[in-house]
Amino acid sequence: MHETSIVNSIIRTLEQEFEAEKLNKMKSIHLKVGILSNIEPRLLYNAYDASHMMNPKYQNVKLEIEMTELKIQCEVCDHITDVQKYRFICDNCQKPSKNVIQGEEMLIHKVEFND
Amino acid sequence: MVDKSTKAARGTVQCENTNINLLKANDFVADIIKKEMAKTSTLLINVTSSAGSGKTTLMQKTAQKLKDKITMAVMVGDLETERDADRIRETGIQALQIVTGGICHLEAQMIHQVLDQFDLENIDLLFIENVGNLVCPSSFDLGEDYRVTLMATTEGDDKPKKYPKMFLTSDMMLVSKADLLPYVPFSVEAVTKDAREVNHELEVIQLSALSDEGIDEWCDWLLAKIKMKKG
Repeated sequence: MHETSIVNSIIRTLEQEFEAEKLNKMKSIHLKVGILSNIEPRLLYNAYDASHMMNPKYQNVKLEIEMTELKIQCEVCDHITDVQKYRFICDNCQKPSKNVIQGEEMLIHKVEFND
Repeated sequence: MVDKSTKAARGTVQCENTNINLLKANDFVADIIKKEMAKTSTLLINVTSSAGSGKTTLMQKTAQKLKDKITMAVMVGDLETERDADRIRETGIQALQIVTGGICHLEAQMIHQVLDQFDLENIDLLFIENVGNLVCPSSFDLGEDYRVTLMATTEGDDKPKKYPKMFLTSDMMLVSKADLLPYVPFSVEAVTKDAREVNHELEVIQLSALSDEGIDEWCDWLLAKIKMKKG
Protein backbone atom coordinates (compact mmCIF):
# COMPACT_ATOMS: atom_id res chain seq x y z
CA MET A 1 0.00 0.00 0.00
CA HIS A 2 2.93 2.26 0.75
CA GLU A 3 4.18 2.12 -2.86
CA THR A 4 0.77 3.14 -4.19
CA SER A 5 0.75 6.28 -2.03
CA ILE A 6 4.25 7.12 -3.22
CA VAL A 7 3.25 6.81 -6.87
CA ASN A 8 0.23 9.04 -6.20
CA SER A 9 2.50 11.51 -4.46
CA ILE A 10 4.89 11.62 -7.44
CA ILE A 11 2.08 12.30 -9.89
CA ARG A 12 0.46 14.89 -7.60
CA THR A 13 3.77 16.66 -7.10
CA LEU A 14 4.55 16.81 -10.83
CA GLU A 15 1.05 18.05 -11.62
CA GLN A 16 1.59 20.89 -9.17
CA GLU A 17 5.02 21.67 -10.51
CA PHE A 18 4.45 21.66 -14.29
CA GLU A 19 1.83 22.99 -16.70
CA ALA A 20 -0.57 20.43 -18.20
CA GLU A 21 0.82 21.13 -21.67
CA LYS A 22 4.30 20.29 -20.53
CA LEU A 23 3.18 17.14 -18.74
CA ASN A 24 1.74 15.86 -22.02
CA LYS A 25 5.30 15.83 -23.36
CA MET A 26 6.81 14.14 -20.34
CA LYS A 27 9.12 11.31 -21.37
CA SER A 28 10.68 10.05 -18.17
CA ILE A 29 10.79 10.57 -14.41
CA HIS A 30 14.05 9.96 -12.55
CA LEU A 31 13.98 9.30 -8.84
CA LYS A 32 16.91 9.30 -6.49
CA VAL A 33 16.12 7.39 -3.31
CA GLY A 34 18.28 6.48 -0.37
CA ILE A 35 18.45 3.02 1.12
CA LEU A 36 16.92 4.48 4.30
CA SER A 37 13.84 5.73 2.45
CA ASN A 38 12.05 2.37 2.76
CA ILE A 39 11.48 2.39 -0.98
CA GLU A 40 11.96 -0.94 -2.71
CA PRO A 41 12.53 -0.19 -6.41
CA ARG A 42 10.97 -3.36 -7.75
CA LEU A 43 7.77 -2.77 -5.80
CA LEU A 44 7.65 0.85 -6.83
CA TYR A 45 8.06 -0.06 -10.53
CA ASN A 46 5.14 -2.48 -10.13
CA ALA A 47 2.98 0.10 -8.37
CA TYR A 48 3.80 2.60 -11.10
CA ASP A 49 2.82 0.13 -13.83
CA ALA A 50 -0.37 -0.69 -11.94
CA SER A 51 -1.25 3.00 -11.65
CA HIS A 52 -1.56 3.17 -15.45
CA MET A 53 -4.54 0.83 -15.28
CA MET A 54 -6.42 3.45 -13.23
CA ASN A 55 -5.08 6.42 -15.14
CA PRO A 56 -3.42 5.69 -18.50
CA LYS A 57 -2.37 9.31 -19.01
CA TYR A 58 1.28 8.67 -18.15
CA GLN A 59 1.60 5.11 -19.44
CA ASN A 60 4.32 6.07 -21.92
CA VAL A 61 6.35 7.92 -19.30
CA LYS A 62 9.30 5.87 -18.12
CA LEU A 63 10.22 5.64 -14.45
CA GLU A 64 13.89 5.31 -13.47
CA ILE A 65 15.01 4.75 -9.89
CA GLU A 66 18.54 5.31 -8.66
CA MET A 67 19.43 4.10 -5.15
CA THR A 68 21.98 5.93 -3.00
CA GLU A 69 24.12 4.52 -0.20
CA LEU A 70 24.15 5.83 3.35
CA LYS A 71 26.73 8.48 4.28
CA ILE A 72 27.18 10.60 7.39
CA GLN A 73 29.40 13.62 7.93
CA CYS A 74 30.92 13.95 11.37
CA GLU A 75 30.05 17.19 13.22
CA VAL A 76 33.34 17.00 15.11
CA CYS A 77 35.97 16.24 12.44
CA ASP A 78 33.97 16.72 9.18
CA HIS A 79 35.02 13.26 8.00
CA ILE A 80 32.53 11.52 5.68
CA THR A 81 31.78 7.90 6.53
CA ASP A 82 30.00 5.22 4.48
CA VAL A 83 27.64 3.76 7.04
CA GLN A 84 27.92 -0.03 7.21
CA LYS A 85 25.43 -2.22 9.04
CA TYR A 86 23.61 0.87 10.32
CA ARG A 87 26.37 1.86 12.73
CA PHE A 88 26.12 5.66 12.69
CA ILE A 89 29.64 6.21 13.97
CA CYS A 90 32.47 8.27 12.42
CA ASP A 91 35.22 6.12 10.88
CA ASN A 92 37.83 8.67 11.76
CA CYS A 93 37.16 9.83 15.31
CA GLN A 94 34.62 7.18 16.41
CA LYS A 95 32.07 9.80 17.52
CA PRO A 96 28.38 8.91 16.93
CA SER A 97 26.60 11.12 14.40
CA LYS A 98 23.07 11.56 13.06
CA ASN A 99 24.17 13.95 10.36
CA VAL A 100 23.01 11.93 7.34
CA ILE A 101 24.18 13.60 4.13
CA GLN A 102 23.09 10.85 1.74
CA GLY A 103 20.86 7.81 1.88
CA GLU A 104 17.64 9.30 3.27
CA GLU A 105 16.55 11.20 0.18
CA MET A 106 13.34 10.64 -1.76
CA LEU A 107 13.79 12.93 -4.70
CA ILE A 108 12.26 13.47 -8.08
CA HIS A 109 15.72 14.19 -9.32
CA LYS A 110 15.16 14.83 -13.00
CA VAL A 111 12.25 14.94 -15.46
CA GLU A 112 12.70 14.60 -19.20
CA PHE A 113 10.33 16.04 -21.79
CA ASN A 114 10.00 15.40 -25.50
CA ASP A 115 10.42 18.55 -27.48
CA MET B 1 21.95 33.31 -31.63
CA VAL B 2 19.53 30.53 -30.85
CA ASP B 3 19.67 29.22 -27.36
CA LYS B 4 20.05 25.49 -27.92
CA SER B 5 19.04 24.53 -24.44
CA THR B 6 15.47 25.73 -24.99
CA LYS B 7 15.18 25.40 -28.79
CA ALA B 8 16.48 21.88 -29.20
CA ALA B 9 16.00 20.09 -32.52
CA ARG B 10 12.94 17.90 -32.90
CA GLY B 11 13.18 14.46 -31.42
CA THR B 12 15.67 15.39 -28.74
CA VAL B 13 14.89 15.55 -25.11
CA GLN B 14 14.88 18.38 -22.63
CA CYS B 15 15.81 17.77 -19.03
CA GLU B 16 14.75 19.56 -15.92
CA ASN B 17 16.82 18.92 -12.87
CA THR B 18 14.18 19.23 -10.26
CA ASN B 19 15.30 17.64 -7.00
CA ILE B 20 11.80 17.87 -5.59
CA ASN B 21 11.11 15.89 -2.46
CA LEU B 22 8.81 13.00 -3.27
CA LEU B 23 6.84 13.71 -0.14
CA LYS B 24 6.68 17.45 -0.73
CA ALA B 25 2.88 17.38 -0.61
CA ASN B 26 2.98 15.59 2.76
CA ASP B 27 5.63 17.86 4.23
CA PHE B 28 3.73 20.97 3.13
CA VAL B 29 0.69 19.82 5.10
CA ALA B 30 2.90 18.80 8.05
CA ASP B 31 4.13 22.40 8.22
CA ILE B 32 0.55 23.67 8.35
CA ILE B 33 -0.14 21.30 11.26
CA LYS B 34 2.99 22.57 13.07
CA LYS B 35 1.76 26.15 12.75
CA GLU B 36 -1.73 25.24 14.01
CA MET B 37 -0.19 23.53 17.04
CA ALA B 38 2.08 26.47 17.73
CA LYS B 39 -0.94 28.81 17.83
CA THR B 40 -2.57 26.87 20.66
CA SER B 41 0.69 25.59 22.24
CA THR B 42 -0.58 22.03 21.97
CA LEU B 43 2.11 19.37 22.27
CA LEU B 44 1.78 16.87 19.41
CA ILE B 45 3.31 13.42 19.83
CA ASN B 46 3.45 10.74 17.15
CA VAL B 47 3.45 7.27 18.73
CA THR B 48 4.73 4.46 16.53
CA SER B 49 5.57 0.78 16.96
CA SER B 50 4.75 -2.60 15.51
CA ALA B 51 1.25 -3.96 15.99
CA GLY B 52 0.58 -5.31 19.48
CA SER B 53 3.40 -3.62 21.36
CA GLY B 54 1.04 -1.79 23.73
CA LYS B 55 0.40 1.66 22.24
CA THR B 56 -3.28 1.74 23.10
CA THR B 57 -2.72 0.33 26.60
CA LEU B 58 -0.10 3.04 27.17
CA MET B 59 -2.57 5.69 25.95
CA GLN B 60 -5.14 4.40 28.47
CA LYS B 61 -2.59 4.39 31.28
CA THR B 62 -1.28 7.84 30.41
CA ALA B 63 -4.84 9.19 30.32
CA GLN B 64 -5.56 7.76 33.79
CA LYS B 65 -2.38 9.25 35.23
CA LEU B 66 -2.57 12.68 33.65
CA LYS B 67 -6.23 13.50 33.17
CA ASP B 68 -6.45 15.48 36.42
CA LYS B 69 -3.33 17.48 35.57
CA ILE B 70 -3.74 18.27 31.89
CA THR B 71 -6.19 17.89 29.04
CA MET B 72 -5.19 15.26 26.55
CA ALA B 73 -6.74 13.76 23.45
CA VAL B 74 -5.81 10.96 21.07
CA MET B 75 -6.28 10.32 17.39
CA VAL B 76 -5.67 6.74 16.49
CA GLY B 77 -5.03 5.23 13.09
CA ASP B 78 -5.92 1.69 12.08
CA LEU B 79 -6.74 -0.07 8.85
CA GLU B 80 -10.22 -0.95 10.09
CA THR B 81 -12.56 -0.78 13.13
CA GLU B 82 -13.07 1.73 15.92
CA ARG B 83 -11.83 -0.60 18.67
CA ASP B 84 -8.84 1.46 19.81
CA ALA B 85 -10.73 4.74 20.04
CA ASP B 86 -13.45 2.96 22.06
CA ARG B 87 -10.83 1.64 24.49
CA ILE B 88 -9.28 5.06 24.95
CA ARG B 89 -12.68 6.76 25.42
CA GLU B 90 -13.39 4.38 28.31
CA THR B 91 -10.76 6.30 30.29
CA GLY B 92 -12.82 9.47 29.84
CA ILE B 93 -10.73 11.34 27.31
CA GLN B 94 -11.51 12.44 23.79
CA ALA B 95 -10.43 9.97 21.11
CA LEU B 96 -10.95 9.95 17.39
CA GLN B 97 -10.45 6.96 15.14
CA ILE B 98 -8.88 7.44 11.73
CA VAL B 99 -9.70 4.44 9.56
CA THR B 100 -7.12 4.32 6.80
CA GLY B 101 -8.95 1.66 4.79
CA GLY B 102 -5.89 -0.43 4.11
CA ILE B 103 -3.18 2.21 4.06
CA CYS B 104 -0.26 1.17 6.24
CA HIS B 105 0.59 4.58 7.74
CA LEU B 106 -0.93 7.96 8.58
CA GLU B 107 -0.21 10.92 6.30
CA ALA B 108 -0.23 14.58 7.26
CA GLN B 109 -3.33 15.17 5.14
CA MET B 110 -5.32 12.66 7.21
CA ILE B 111 -4.34 14.44 10.43
CA HIS B 112 -5.07 17.88 9.07
CA GLN B 113 -8.51 16.77 7.89
CA VAL B 114 -9.64 15.84 11.41
CA LEU B 115 -7.88 18.58 13.40
CA ASP B 116 -10.98 20.79 13.50
CA GLN B 117 -12.80 18.04 15.43
CA PHE B 118 -10.65 18.95 18.42
CA ASP B 119 -10.95 22.04 20.60
CA LEU B 120 -7.20 22.64 20.40
CA GLU B 121 -7.37 25.80 22.51
CA ASN B 122 -8.18 23.57 25.46
CA ILE B 123 -5.93 20.61 24.68
CA ASP B 124 -2.43 20.50 26.18
CA LEU B 125 -1.35 17.20 24.72
CA LEU B 126 -2.50 15.53 21.52
CA PHE B 127 -1.29 12.03 20.73
CA ILE B 128 -1.31 10.50 17.29
CA GLU B 129 -1.33 6.75 17.72
CA ASN B 130 0.01 5.66 14.35
CA VAL B 131 -0.80 2.45 12.48
CA GLY B 132 1.16 -0.46 14.00
CA ASN B 133 4.09 -0.73 11.60
CA LEU B 134 7.79 0.07 12.00
CA VAL B 135 8.37 0.72 8.29
CA CYS B 136 6.11 3.15 6.40
CA PRO B 137 5.14 5.56 9.23
CA SER B 138 8.82 6.49 9.59
CA SER B 139 8.80 8.40 6.29
CA PHE B 140 5.77 10.59 6.95
CA ASP B 141 6.20 13.74 9.03
CA LEU B 142 2.88 14.49 10.72
CA GLY B 143 3.99 17.84 12.10
CA GLU B 144 4.72 16.29 15.50
CA ASP B 145 6.96 17.81 18.16
CA TYR B 146 8.31 14.40 19.16
CA ARG B 147 8.24 10.90 17.79
CA VAL B 148 8.01 8.14 20.38
CA THR B 149 8.54 4.50 19.41
CA LEU B 150 7.50 1.56 21.56
CA MET B 151 9.61 -1.56 21.53
CA ALA B 152 7.96 -4.40 23.45
CA THR B 153 10.07 -6.94 25.31
CA THR B 154 8.16 -9.66 23.42
CA GLU B 155 9.42 -8.41 20.05
CA GLY B 156 13.09 -9.28 20.48
CA ASP B 157 16.00 -6.95 21.22
CA ASP B 158 17.41 -7.06 17.67
CA LYS B 159 14.78 -4.81 16.09
CA PRO B 160 16.35 -1.31 15.96
CA LYS B 161 18.90 -2.14 13.23
CA LYS B 162 16.26 -4.06 11.30
CA TYR B 163 14.10 -0.93 11.13
CA PRO B 164 16.78 1.79 11.30
CA LYS B 165 14.81 4.66 9.80
CA MET B 166 12.19 4.51 12.55
CA PHE B 167 14.80 4.63 15.31
CA LEU B 168 16.83 7.30 13.53
CA THR B 169 13.78 9.59 13.35
CA SER B 170 12.50 8.91 16.89
CA ASP B 171 13.25 11.02 19.95
CA MET B 172 12.23 8.46 22.55
CA MET B 173 12.19 4.66 22.69
CA LEU B 174 9.86 3.16 25.25
CA VAL B 175 10.77 -0.42 26.13
CA SER B 176 7.24 -1.62 26.87
CA LYS B 177 5.88 -4.73 28.61
CA ALA B 178 8.83 -4.57 31.03
CA ASP B 179 6.81 -6.71 33.49
CA LEU B 180 7.51 -9.65 31.15
CA LEU B 181 11.30 -9.27 31.31
CA PRO B 182 11.77 -12.24 33.70
CA TYR B 183 10.05 -14.53 31.18
CA VAL B 184 11.46 -13.45 27.82
CA PRO B 185 14.97 -13.58 26.33
CA PHE B 186 15.23 -9.81 25.93
CA SER B 187 18.05 -7.55 27.04
CA VAL B 188 17.24 -3.88 27.63
CA GLU B 189 20.95 -3.17 27.50
CA ALA B 190 21.31 -4.85 24.07
CA VAL B 191 18.27 -3.09 22.57
CA THR B 192 19.50 0.27 23.88
CA LYS B 193 22.98 -0.29 22.45
CA ASP B 194 21.55 -1.34 19.08
CA ALA B 195 19.21 1.65 18.93
CA ARG B 196 21.86 4.14 20.05
CA GLU B 197 24.26 2.96 17.34
CA VAL B 198 21.60 4.22 14.93
CA ASN B 199 20.62 7.31 16.92
CA HIS B 200 22.90 8.38 19.75
CA GLU B 201 20.46 11.05 20.92
CA LEU B 202 17.61 8.59 21.50
CA GLU B 203 16.14 8.72 24.99
CA VAL B 204 15.06 5.42 26.54
CA ILE B 205 12.52 4.60 29.25
CA GLN B 206 11.70 1.08 30.38
CA LEU B 207 8.05 0.79 31.39
CA SER B 208 5.02 -1.38 31.89
CA ALA B 209 1.46 -0.09 31.66
CA LEU B 210 0.31 -3.09 33.70
CA SER B 211 2.75 -2.95 36.63
CA ASP B 212 3.20 0.86 36.49
CA GLU B 213 7.00 0.55 36.26
CA GLY B 214 8.43 3.62 34.52
CA ILE B 215 5.04 5.25 34.05
CA ASP B 216 5.84 8.16 36.37
CA GLU B 217 9.09 8.79 34.51
CA TRP B 218 7.19 8.77 31.18
CA CYS B 219 4.49 11.12 32.52
CA ASP B 220 7.13 13.48 33.95
CA TRP B 221 8.82 13.56 30.53
CA LEU B 222 5.49 14.49 28.94
CA LEU B 223 4.74 17.19 31.54
CA ALA B 224 8.19 18.71 31.02
CA LYS B 225 7.67 18.82 27.24
CA ILE B 226 4.22 20.39 27.67
CA LYS B 227 5.74 23.03 29.92
CA MET B 228 8.45 23.74 27.34
CA LYS B 229 5.86 24.05 24.57
CA LYS B 230 3.85 26.54 26.60
CA GLY B 231 7.03 28.52 27.07
